Amino acid sequence: MTLVGLSVKNIRRNRLRAVLTVLGVAIALLAFVFIRTTLDAWSTGAEHAAQDRLGTMHKVSFTMDLPRTYFEELDGTRGTVPGVKAATYQNWFGGKHPVREQEFFATIAVHSDTFFDVYSDMAVPPDQLAAWKEDRQGAIVGEALAKQFGWSVGDDVTLLGTIYPGDWKFTIRGIYSATRRAVDRTQFVFHWTYLNESIKDTMPEQTERVGWISTVIEPGARGADVAQAIDAKFEEHDVQTRTMSERALSMEFMGSFGAILTALDVVSGVILVIMMLILGNTIAMSVRERTNEHGVLLALGFRPKHIALFVMGEGLAIGLLGGLAGLCLSYPFINGMGRWIEDNMGAWFPYFQIPIDVAITALLLAMLLAGLAAVIPAYRASRLDVIDALRRIG
Amino acid sequence: MSAEATKADDGHTKPRADKPTIIRCQDLGRTFWRGKERLDVLEELDLEIPEGSFEALMGPSGSGKTTLLNIIAGLDRPTRGRIEVAGKSLGDLSEAALAKWRSQTIGFVFQHFNLIPVLTAVENVELPLLLTKVPASERKKRAQTALRVVGLEDRMDHRPQQLSGGQEQRVGIARAIVHDPKIIVADEPTGELDRQSADDVLTLLERLNREFDKTILMVTHDPAAAERASVLRKLDKGRLS
Ligand SMILES: Nc1ncnc2c1ncn2[C@@H]1O[C@H](COP(=O)(O)OP(=O)(O)OP(=O)(O)O)[C@@H](O)[C@H]1O
Ligand SMILES: [Mg+2]
Repeated sequence: MTLVGLSVKNIRRNRLRAVLTVLGVAIALLAFVFIRTTLDAWSTGAEHAAQDRLGTMHKVSFTMDLPRTYFEELDGTRGTVPGVKAATYQNWFGGKHPVREQEFFATIAVHSDTFFDVYSDMAVPPDQLAAWKEDRQGAIVGEALAKQFGWSVGDDVTLLGTIYPGDWKFTIRGIYSATRRAVDRTQFVFHWTYLNESIKDTMPEQTERVGWISTVIEPGARGADVAQAIDAKFEEHDVQTRTMSERALSMEFMGSFGAILTALDVVSGVILVIMMLILGNTIAMSVRERTNEHGVLLALGFRPKHIALFVMGEGLAIGLLGGLAGLCLSYPFINGMGRWIEDNMGAWFPYFQIPIDVAITALLLAMLLAGLAAVIPAYRASRLDVIDALRRIG
Repeated sequence: MSAEATKADDGHTKPRADKPTIIRCQDLGRTFWRGKERLDVLEELDLEIPEGSFEALMGPSGSGKTTLLNIIAGLDRPTRGRIEVAGKSLGDLSEAALAKWRSQTIGFVFQHFNLIPVLTAVENVELPLLLTKVPASERKKRAQTALRVVGLEDRMDHRPQQLSGGQEQRVGIARAIVHDPKIIVADEPTGELDRQSADDVLTLLERLNREFDKTILMVTHDPAAAERASVLRKLDKGRLS
């Protein structure tokens, strides 16, 4: 036996309490790692958004639409807006699964001739793409969405329209896969013409409108310059536009969550502080129970510093055990869930895995805070009067 | 530990004039304060104990027995007077030096055994050696030897909970002798034990005194225990009689 061994053996004193304490630290750490991983995934997500694809929307609001003629002007003037390689347009459809209404996915009416040229990171097998172009009611869905609802090519699907009311009938003609991680693999895309023609009688004022226009820029062109040129082009029109790259859009979108992110940041710290206070209390309690034992050690010639080190050692050991247990919980739990998030929310969280520095920080913080939690009990134990301590019956 | 030398003795351990004094108290006083109330627990106490003596200290509850024992063992300091133990004037020692001196000179036996519950018998006995430079393997060997002396060679790896009271106290005694101290102080070592276990413990203390030449100072309320000592001292109202 050694002095360190003696310190660590104290953890075995009350097994239930030790297990609960370690578990408490582990769960606090799991929460911490989860929040940190989310924040990290959130802040790095935008970095994976495409930089060479621009979105042009209504200057006032993302929710207001543009006349379709804008697309023709953009598309027809290749060369007049230098740097634009290809353009397409789309409308937010807002469809829902008729039964599983809670399960959100993006439904988009797209210009079928150009859409997959601009969104080249959504890969559709050529035969499926050809079949889709032939079928006005055809739809192409993401592989994750297909899996989610058990759809396969040839299935007839009815969606519930929210913006455009009614039952909308489609046939799945293709399934796309993503060639980049930051691609949403749960989208449902179909022909804009199907939408446009279907609403001619019911919502005539909504026809010939597009939600936004997307363009790919030529290699070597600067996104910001092209965006500026596009907006300049519509400057004199009734409806002005705002154009930015997907990445810039992504960052702007995330920026709007700034307050929430800061709050989460604080919460992750608060969790650890609470953990430390509870740990401090537990350690103080177990040290108090051992007053008489500490008296014996002092009588045998151990010094107050030994007693303090024993208590500190115990705190650090709990921190280390709790930290390791926390990581053991975190990895399967968070990374398992992360894989699901990457598959289903890849547009926002292309990567959702515990970053190694978060894991290391968590482990070090667990030990540091457990050590800090032990400081006051350790100090008090070191101030023990040997005679008083021995008088307490152990 | 030279067992042979004292075995040749004439069978009893009455203090002999030629034995040097190992514990000397002069005009010792200890005052406690309870708020403003003054409590003179020990007053003008003089005491000389020769080396190798086995002494019992009796007296009514609250008479200051534990207080005196604590001062002699270097756990407490007197308010007045001089105390010299094993050639050291304890008043001159710093706290650290006193702790070190204690760890080399004194073996403690407690009424409530005071074993560490998470440690096995042999680990409990090893405790005082953790403060020394003795290497780990040697520490364990010495602890085992001490347990053999108290007759617990078959209980080395038992935890205190798995031992009877008498066995616990024998582990306590093994812990008190493992570092080969000159003096053993025992505060009511049989207070928690039944007659048979108490007798075993007392026999063991006698043996340590006779065979290993330990000076033993034992506080007790039990006349039968006091009987086993070679000298009986009585403390009353802070004074020895
Ligand atoms: N730290 C202290 N502060 C105040 N009073 C104390 C302190 N230690 C001991 N006393 C008092 O000193 C007196 C003697 O105590 P001590 O423990 O020495 O008695 P004792 O003879 O060992 O008694 P017992 O036989 O009950 O163990 C008691 O009145 C006790 O209350
Ligand atoms: Mg007492």
